[in-house]
Amino acid sequence: MNQSAATYLGNIKDTVQSFWHGMSITLSYLLRRPTTIQYPDRTPLPVRDTLPPRYRGFLEVDADICTGCQACERACPIGCIQINLEKDAANPKQRVVTQFDIDEAKCMFCGLCVEPCPTGAIQHTREFEASQRSVRNLTFRWADPLKPFPVYKVAKGAEYFPRAPLGSLVRAKIEARRWDAPPPEFLPPEAPKPPAAKAPPPAAPVAKPSAAAAPAAPAPKPAAAAPVPEAKPAELLKAAAETAAPAAAPAAPAAPSPAPAAEAPVPTTPEVKP
Amino acid sequence: MEKLIMRRMHQGGTEEMILNFGPQHPSTHGVINFLVETDGEVLRRAVPDVGYLHRSIEKIAESVGYPGFMPYTDRIDYVAAMFANEGWAVAVEKLLKIEVPKRAQYLRAVSCELCRIASHLVSVGTMATDIGATTPLVHGIRERESINDLIEALCGARLTYNYHRIGGVAFDLPAGWPAKVKVFLDHFDKLLGEWDRLISFNEIYVKRLAGVAVITGEQARNYGLVGPNLRGSGVDWDCRRDAPYGAYPELQFEVPVGKGFRGTVGDAFDRYYVRVLEMRESARIVRQALAWLEQNEGEIMAKVPRKVKPEAGEVLSRVESARGEMGYYVVSDGTEKPWRVHVRTGSFLAMGIIEDLSPGLMVADLVALIASLDVVAPEIDR
Repeated sequence: MNQSAATYLGNIKDTVQSFWHGMSITLSYLLRRPTTIQYPDRTPLPVRDTLPPRYRGFLEVDADICTGCQACERACPIGCIQINLEKDAANPKQRVVTQFDIDEAKCMFCGLCVEPCPTGAIQHTREFEASQRSVRNLTFRWADPLKPFPVYKVAKGAEYFPRAPLGSLVRAKIEARRWDAPPPEFLPPEAPKPPAAKAPPPAAPVAKPSAAAAPAAPAPKPAAAAPVPEAKPAELLKAAAETAAPAAAPAAPAAPSPAPAAEAPVPTTPEVKP
Repeated sequence: MEKLIMRRMHQGGTEEMILNFGPQHPSTHGVINFLVETDGEVLRRAVPDVGYLHRSIEKIAESVGYPGFMPYTDRIDYVAAMFANEGWAVAVEKLLKIEVPKRAQYLRAVSCELCRIASHLVSVGTMATDIGATTPLVHGIRERESINDLIEALCGARLTYNYHRIGGVAFDLPAGWPAKVKVFLDHFDKLLGEWDRLISFNEIYVKRLAGVAVITGEQARNYGLVGPNLRGSGVDWDCRRDAPYGAYPELQFEVPVGKGFRGTVGDAFDRYYVRVLEMRESARIVRQALAWLEQNEGEIMAKVPRKVKPEAGEVLSRVESARGEMGYYVVSDGTEKPWRVHVRTGSFLAMGIIEDLSPGLMVADLVALIASLDVVAPEIDR
């Protein structure tokens, strides 16, 4: 009896003591500076400037020093980079990059594409804020299919490659787009059908100024909606885009379906260029 | 599971209940379901039902190839992704018969031990929350943020590090980084004392955990428990010391073992406190490895062929992760993609013992048991 009373009282003492220890620590934190910061309006600097230089944010490609070697495309484990190279129509010796798309929505920011790049053209930046209403607006197109850029020739023994300031290119791209911009009307990859050839040229200039991210517009109708390509009202295009997504998978036997944008502009370019 | 329900339905007339504990319950540490058979507050048994987070990571390995699988390993255990990276790198290096440069090994040790501290901070913090003390988690997360900042400066990501590479590591130390780590570690050593006063030896906390869900050493071995769960039961086994890899043979550290700190050997408190002691040892290892890194120079990547194409064969790597021994079993058929990959993780093994430990536990003690085993749902299912 005596002993149990002693343990009972001992327990009470220990508990009170623990309380005191815990509470004193907790209270001491009331007097210290808080470690949390209100984001984003109370940060002293823009958050991207507080990040370490190795931060793996949005990918950026400097087209001026891209050699078109496609090493990044091969290194990407999820295939969010899509590159297309063609011979320049005017100068057959010169290869041009007609497409360099990076789907930042798919990208897992692992950094594997940056490592094999021979010139450092593709780099992670410290940009990370670019929310978009439509996830498809997060596809960054570093090559204009209508104005392909020539591949960079590495000079022998070159150690330094003139690169635009890291982050400036991607920031310009992010700032250029509205967050609630309508998504690009990605069309399914075109099945081999020659009659479509006469439709694109008149349509291309109409579609081009609308949005930088939507050069896919000229490529016409999915296989189902064949008839009048010249009329091309916006509703028809929209309807085409809606049917496009489900239609894409069966239409493309070779290419994986998530990159339907890839194939669309390609056939149009040779005709527009000259 | 269906059988269990049907049996209960046909028996009828008892006062026992079958409850679904989870899959979205805060104290199951992720998406795990427990089918709990209770009689009032006492458990008849609890059957873990895993698989809600299965993402076929092992199958993905078969389609993306050896270097491309590295970022996926981050997703196996997102609380301690560094170890998953290391395990995969070690496995493929064994397969390719590559010798990793010494500096890379030390960099791996530094990054992994920092990650272990971060993981254990989350573990002990969530354990305190599950027991009912909400404050310690916030302290743990706060310290983990500092580690995340350090690792972010090292490799560019806070959670999915993808820092290790086949044949070495991706980056060398950034300028001024060792000094920052030392400042943190000095602060952290003090914090551990504060942590003990705040929660570890809090009388209520101890009373809730001491003597609860005792796993004897023999039981732990039989169920194949690994890591702190095994050591908490008094079995002195640590992969870093007993099956050494990387830089660990050259580093001095103790392996804390459960001794019945406040109750019996192998109770929930032992498993908890072994983790707290391990954090201290990890801090020691980081200091030693950093001192070595500051004095020595060297390569951080071995010569790895551009196309990783190992010879046909099979290999097993084991690394001591924060959740115990992590093993990668890789079978190569001589092509650029592995023929089969299997990941052996500590959380999955820990789930096996819950059904046998649960009879007679209180419902609230089941939470303590799950928390003390430190399971992470994506690591169970992969």
